[in-house]
Amino acid sequence: MTGRTSGDEEGGPSEHPGDGGEHPGDGGPADEQAQFSALLEDSAEDLYEHAPCGYLSSLLDGRIAKINTTLLNWLGYERDDVLGRISFSDLLTAGGRLYHETHYVPLLRMQGEVRGIALELRAADGTRLPVLVTSEVRTGGDGQPLLIRTTVFDARDRRAYETELLRARKEADRERERLQRLATTLQRTLLPPALANVPGLDVSAYYHIASVDEVGGDFYDLFPLADGAWGLFLGDVCGKGAAAAAVTSLTRYTLRAAAVYDPGPVAVLRNLNTVLNHEYNGDDPRFCTVVFGLLTPDHDRGGFHITLASGGHPPALLMRADGTTDLLPTPGGQLIGVLPDAHIAATTVRLAPGDTLLLHTDGLTEAHVNSTAGTGSDGHGGVTGGGDARYGDDALLDFARALAPTTASDTVGAIRDLLDTLGSGVDDDTAVLAIHVPRPPSGEQQ
Amino acid sequence: MTQPPLTLRIRTAPAGAVVELAGELDHQTAPGVRAALPGLELLPGQQLVLDLGGVEFCDSSGITVLIAARNHALAAGAGIALAAVPEHVSRIFRVVGLDQVFPAHPTARAAEAAWRSTAS
Repeated sequence: MTGRTSGDEEGGPSEHPGDGGEHPGDGGPADEQAQFSALLEDSAEDLYEHAPCGYLSSLLDGRIAKINTTLLNWLGYERDDVLGRISFSDLLTAGGRLYHETHYVPLLRMQGEVRGIALELRAADGTRLPVLVTSEVRTGGDGQPLLIRTTVFDARDRRAYETELLRARKEADRERERLQRLATTLQRTLLPPALANVPGLDVSAYYHIASVDEVGGDFYDLFPLADGAWGLFLGDVCGKGAAAAAVTSLTRYTLRAAAVYDPGPVAVLRNLNTVLNHEYNGDDPRFCTVVFGLLTPDHDRGGFHITLASGGHPPALLMRADGTTDLLPTPGGQLIGVLPDAHIAATTVRLAPGDTLLLHTDGLTEAHVNSTAGTGSDGHGGVTGGGDARYGDDALLDFARALAPTTASDTVGAIRDLLDTLGSGVDDDTAVLAIHVPRPPSGEQQ
Repeated sequence: MTQPPLTLRIRTAPAGAVVELAGELDHQTAPGVRAALPGLELLPGQQLVLDLGGVEFCDSSGITVLIAARNHALAAGAGIALAAVPEHVSRIFRVVGLDQVFPAHPTARAAEAAWRSTAS
């Protein structure tokens, strides 16, 4: 980019008088042309002086050689205060002057022009005027720089706009924090504040929140029923956000209420299926997968019996006192809420002293592992289409095998560590609930 | 953005509409598929085929769309079948017990042939 040459004279239009005015009595169009021509003739000098922007020309040493009325008015200076007396940088604030020296002038020397730089001018009365400044070096016919032309735009509106933008951004940040607090609070209301203390049982649970912006759909609970029995459930509502939270809430209260009338796990899930199916059908179906368990103490041999019913939920893991670990399948169980007559599968096992049962949602097994090294998985990660490796059911089974025999709190602790290791690969909420029958004190001495 | 996360193509076959889904079927893309369902023309006795051959990912929200499609077909007096279900989707189907609800065929053509043999 080079500056303009001296042959490029200003005021050109005034030297080419229009011919419209030389045909008097020619009617309307000629008169209009005359007015237009007068506008042109009048405009060059007047436009310079009273343009809606400031103009100034300075010598190469910085002294101001020419300045328009608009800029003088903005600054509150008389022309004689300025011409030949001060340089452009004298009009700047202290910070602006420094920037002018270190950046503006060197850039102008290198490129021949500098565009749209935000600076602040200091007016005669000490007030500051935010401006946008553009300068060009004007060169002579031999390419030697002659002077610097500068235009100055009033940026008060822009400054106000920027301030407004900043304010709006702060407001948005505050709203986002509020939303996150709301989501966290809502999430907490969907989970028991603390697990019930079950005599003769060690229980532990953990809820991993994948997103602070959206409420997830996982849930669990453990609560007393009649005759020394206990109910427990863990599940996963499809989707995220407020709509999913509403289903979670309905699911949770339905399960607890249904268990009071008939604690049989199959009956409880049938009840839930009917309630959800009536509430949500048609084009916006909602479902959940859930395991419901009924725990009854085994008074003769110690420990508990547990009957687990599953509606399409991943199988529980049973880690025995002797270290053997297996899935507790409930084949054929169907998800709850969308099929009027969903099949619910049940199984019953005895939890002997030393045994641990783990319920989980698929946020853990569906976690991505390709972005994380050293997950503790030994290559069993499931592979979905597109080569996207997931942690997988087999890896979890191996993980449990390595833990057994264990306790509820150790199991949940290990899963928390595993979730930490998987890190951002866990992109869905995960709930885990473990129950363990402690060995009697004499057993610990063996 | 290189490719849209999910593409949906609808074609009409003698047996009924065939919906081809390709990409990621999740809670971002599910509403778009759900919105397309009311536009599907299905006559009583026809069969809606969902061709899942190109589905790379399907989560619980994706499952709800398949169920919504089933509800839509049943409401029209039509049947529903899946074609070319990828292994990662059929695994989820087995866990949630939907394999008992959705007949599955290796291809859309096979689904149509199965419909012909039951219709005749």
